Amino acid sequence: MSIIEVTNLTKFYGKSRGIVDVSFSEEEGEIFGFIGPNGAGKSTTIRLLLSLIHPTSGSAKVFGKDVVTHGPEIRRDIGYLPSEVYYYEGMKVIDLLKYSASFYDCDCTQRLHDLSEIMELELNRRISDLSYGNKKKVGIVQGLLHSPKLLFLDEPTAGLDPLMQRKFFNLIREENARGVTVFFSSHILGEVQRLCTRVGIIREGKIVEISNIRALQQNNYKKVSVTAEGLEPAAFDLPGVTNVQTENGTVNFFFKGDINAVLQRISGMQLSDVTIEEPTLEEIFMHYYE
Amino acid sequence: MNIFLRELRANLKSLVIWCVIMALLIMIAVSKFSAFADNPEMLAMLDSMPPAMLDALSMRAFNLTTVSGFYGIMFVYFGLMAAIAAAMWGSDIISKEERDKTVEFSLVLPVSRSRVVTAKALAALVNCIAFVLITWAISLVAVRSYNPDQAFYNFLSLEMQAMFSIELIFLAIGLLLGCAMKQYKRSASVAVAIILTTYFMSIMSQMQQSLDFLKYITPFRYYEASALFFTGKMDSTYLLISAGLIVICVAAAYLIYNKRDLYI
Repeated sequence: MSIIEVTNLTKFYGKSRGIVDVSFSEEEGEIFGFIGPNGAGKSTTIRLLLSLIHPTSGSAKVFGKDVVTHGPEIRRDIGYLPSEVYYYEGMKVIDLLKYSASFYDCDCTQRLHDLSEIMELELNRRISDLSYGNKKKVGIVQGLLHSPKLLFLDEPTAGLDPLMQRKFFNLIREENARGVTVFFSSHILGEVQRLCTRVGIIREGKIVEISNIRALQQNNYKKVSVTAEGLEPAAFDLPGVTNVQTENGTVNFFFKGDINAVLQRISGMQLSDVTIEEPTLEEIFMHYYE
Repeated sequence: MNIFLRELRANLKSLVIWCVIMALLIMIAVSKFSAFADNPEMLAMLDSMPPAMLDALSMRAFNLTTVSGFYGIMFVYFGLMAAIAAAMWGSDIISKEERDKTVEFSLVLPVSRSRVVTAKALAALVNCIAFVLITWAISLVAVRSYNPDQAFYNFLSLEMQAMFSIELIFLAIGLLLGCAMKQYKRSASVAVAIILTTYFMSIMSQMQQSLDFLKYITPFRYYEASALFFTGKMDSTYLLISAGLIVICVAAAYLIYNKRDLYI
């Protein structure tokens, strides 16, 4: 069963674009990466799924239930870590976590202390005294406290130091091993590469690609670099060639399609060097972003 | 229940501040009253003032030298304070979540928006009830030394009921503003604007016969101290209008809040 099922979801804020015609689905136990530049509509998509805002058109289902009509029911099994965490300033961390736990039918006391220990959270401090990174830690504990079946992480690592990031990723992997489905939104490709099995790329409110992360790297694009005397970029005027760049007699380009077409071109040339490799994710995404 | 209790705790400070202001108002007013009490010269002086001015200050109906008369004039201030406090509580209790950006926490919890509004409205209602009761208690203590008769106690009780009705009306209006207005910063100022506008409407409608129809629009005319004093009860027409107004505002608040996008 699909845990998340989004069909032609569209959101406009008045006239300004949120997301347009977004469709995708996420299976149980997956870690789905949702990548795009700032303002692409990542948070909008998550907020629609949490029914904080309502769609202009299209629909979305979580656990097979419509998000608009079954919001409270769905949210029982959801954990959410927003990109910026805000809590009631006057409360103590422990009181806030207990307050949050009181909404779910579980006895989360043990888990509260376990998680706080892992994240090195000081429970007796006031929210208003916490730094950005420490607030984020409260967010992580609060989001995981009730053992949700589905986790929404919206740029979760911002504000965390590298050590904490690693602990956090381990935590997410453990949760995922227990069967928790994770929806991971980020613009940092490294983290997505580390965690996710499948990715969706969003740009200017529209999904431009949904793909297995390995497939994206292996099958789709090759990074080709050819060095030869008097080489013109026009020599590689083939369908499937993009991002052609020339420097010091070396022509670099991305190629998507039957690699034999490129090899045939090259075989007729007098080369001094050639490399064909998988591009880094970074390069793939820059390609999508531009 | 947990939302309700948290809101009560979060709003306690504001309740205490309002009660302190009310206590100061009553204490200062009663100490001024000591100059009026059983003083026929003061009565003569008031009689010589222009009637329009007395109307504006709603002083004509009352004999200022008695405790009841004095409290009749005080009622305007009780009404205004009650209206402002209730409207602020109503709008703030909803809109502060968006102002402090805590909606992304509080409305991702497994609760429906209706349940949130209900819990918060009840917490604000408790504040309103407490505010009336405390005003009542302070009044009883403040006038004790004048040994008021039973008629005064009856009148005071009626005034407090009227004050509570005004609170309910403005609590409902405040709730509606908090739920409906996406620009959360404005909901409190709009609430105050409504209070001041309706208050001046009530003064105008008393002074100008042609503006008499305004009495149906402004809640401050629904419960007038002089009418309460002379009839000994609240006018049932106005009670009905009030109830209608409250039901409409609250229903609209629920409807709109359930439908609208939260401002994040």
